[in-house]
Amino acid sequence: MTRAAVVGAGMTKFGVHDTPLQELFGEAAFGALDDAGVTTDDLDALYFGNAMSGQAENETHLGPRVASHIGAAGLEVQRFEDACATSANAFKNAVRAVDAGVHDVVLVGGVERCTPETGKDTPAMTRIFASASHRQYEQPTGLTFPSVFALLTKRHMHEHGTTEEDLAAVAVKNHANGRLNPRAHFGKETSVEEVLDGPVVADPFRLMDCCPFSDGASAVVVVSDDLADSFDAPVDVTGVGHATDVVPIADKADLPATQAARDAATEAYAQAGIEADDADFAEVHDCFTGAEILASEAIGFAPEGEGGTYAAEGRTALDGDRPINPSGGLKAKGHPIGATGTAQIVELTEQIRGTVGERQVSDANVGVAHNLGGDSATTVVSVLEGRA
Amino acid sequence: MNLTYDEWAAAVREGELLGLSCDACDHTNGVPTGACPHCGNRDLTRVSLPTDGVVHSETTIQVPPEGFEERGYQVAVIELGDAKVMGRIDGDSERVAIGDEVVLSGVITEDDDHPAPLFASA
Repeated sequence: MTRAAVVGAGMTKFGVHDTPLQELFGEAAFGALDDAGVTTDDLDALYFGNAMSGQAENETHLGPRVASHIGAAGLEVQRFEDACATSANAFKNAVRAVDAGVHDVVLVGGVERCTPETGKDTPAMTRIFASASHRQYEQPTGLTFPSVFALLTKRHMHEHGTTEEDLAAVAVKNHANGRLNPRAHFGKETSVEEVLDGPVVADPFRLMDCCPFSDGASAVVVVSDDLADSFDAPVDVTGVGHATDVVPIADKADLPATQAARDAATEAYAQAGIEADDADFAEVHDCFTGAEILASEAIGFAPEGEGGTYAAEGRTALDGDRPINPSGGLKAKGHPIGATGTAQIVELTEQIRGTVGERQVSDANVGVAHNLGGDSATTVVSVLEGRA
Repeated sequence: MNLTYDEWAAAVREGELLGLSCDACDHTNGVPTGACPHCGNRDLTRVSLPTDGVVHSETTIQVPPEGFEERGYQVAVIELGDAKVMGRIDGDSERVAIGDEVVLSGVITEDDDHPAPLFASA
């Protein structure tokens, strides 16, 4: 059933921005408002995501600041922090609010800067990212985020025979898709061999297995089902599932299962009344190539243990039968932490509208977004569908 | 709390790993918790984990966070009896792979004096 509808979408180019956070967010927010044809006077609330700017830029209490910047001072603003799942959690709460009749028109979005424009170099930003791992039981080992997903991925390789070539195939595919996305941080024609020639970050991950540090912002306008018909090209939100899993990693029942994603997908699909096979494409949280393989299985796009094979055989490519990350994913599009969740919703909306040009998935009517936070301890899965 | 962080950390410094066995399900938590994360039961029994175990997963970190200056260290999730714990593999030990046997060998305190257990190839 329809819980809400997305009627406007906007985002900045993801990449390197020497721009203050409110100006970055403003560009995405104005884009979404203009796309929907609404003004800030029409808004009932802002659901805003920012994960780490307190640590990265000494900037907190951003909600009223970004609201003021976009001319919406006085608006109710709630700020979400859920590591990399920050703005998907904002989106879930916005959908729930309009579904429940609490609000009619809300703006949802997020912003983050993660590049050295923040003044933080790679070791400093690596430590800030690691704050999403357990302070007492994980960080003291020197754990990093690439290593978190390396631990999950290597277990998958051990159990299912997934290979480094399979991982590299994900990077090659997502870079190819990124080339077709003018808002992507990266995008190029590359090869499995070139990926495997790269320097190791945390084995099995080499440089090109890892998403970049990016700056950027994204936003969408969400309205109630009743209001949606008065807008051009509304896209229905038919399901949003949100689940968490055990922290720290070692106490999880099954490392490569990413159980929160499975639980969130089950919930989202049940709300939408669909099966995984009914979805035409997905945007998944490929912070690392291995993460896409785990995600493809968790959301039911690939059978258990075959996520790597699906990538290597081209089944998840733009022209494959189970397209994943037509935007280029976090890998190529970029990953400004707090902006990633709603950027996935932007891509779903535009794919379903059929307005993305060369990277258009054919017959894209049902899309799935999978936005993961921390060591896979949070996942939000959303289902969007074209309005009948 | 049947086991606090401070008690766990003091034990790690003494070469002992403490966990919590759930009396309601078959989970043994590798570190302190207020309740069993799998069933919610608060009735947990403090247990001393075995000091030898098997590598469940591992990776070697070449891009460390600020504060860890030596690159190329190995971290691992270790199966210790019914529990699993995160630890560091001793740099003087040979690298380990999934399925290898390891033994608790000491402690590192590189991170603001937060201890982490150290394991070596058995």
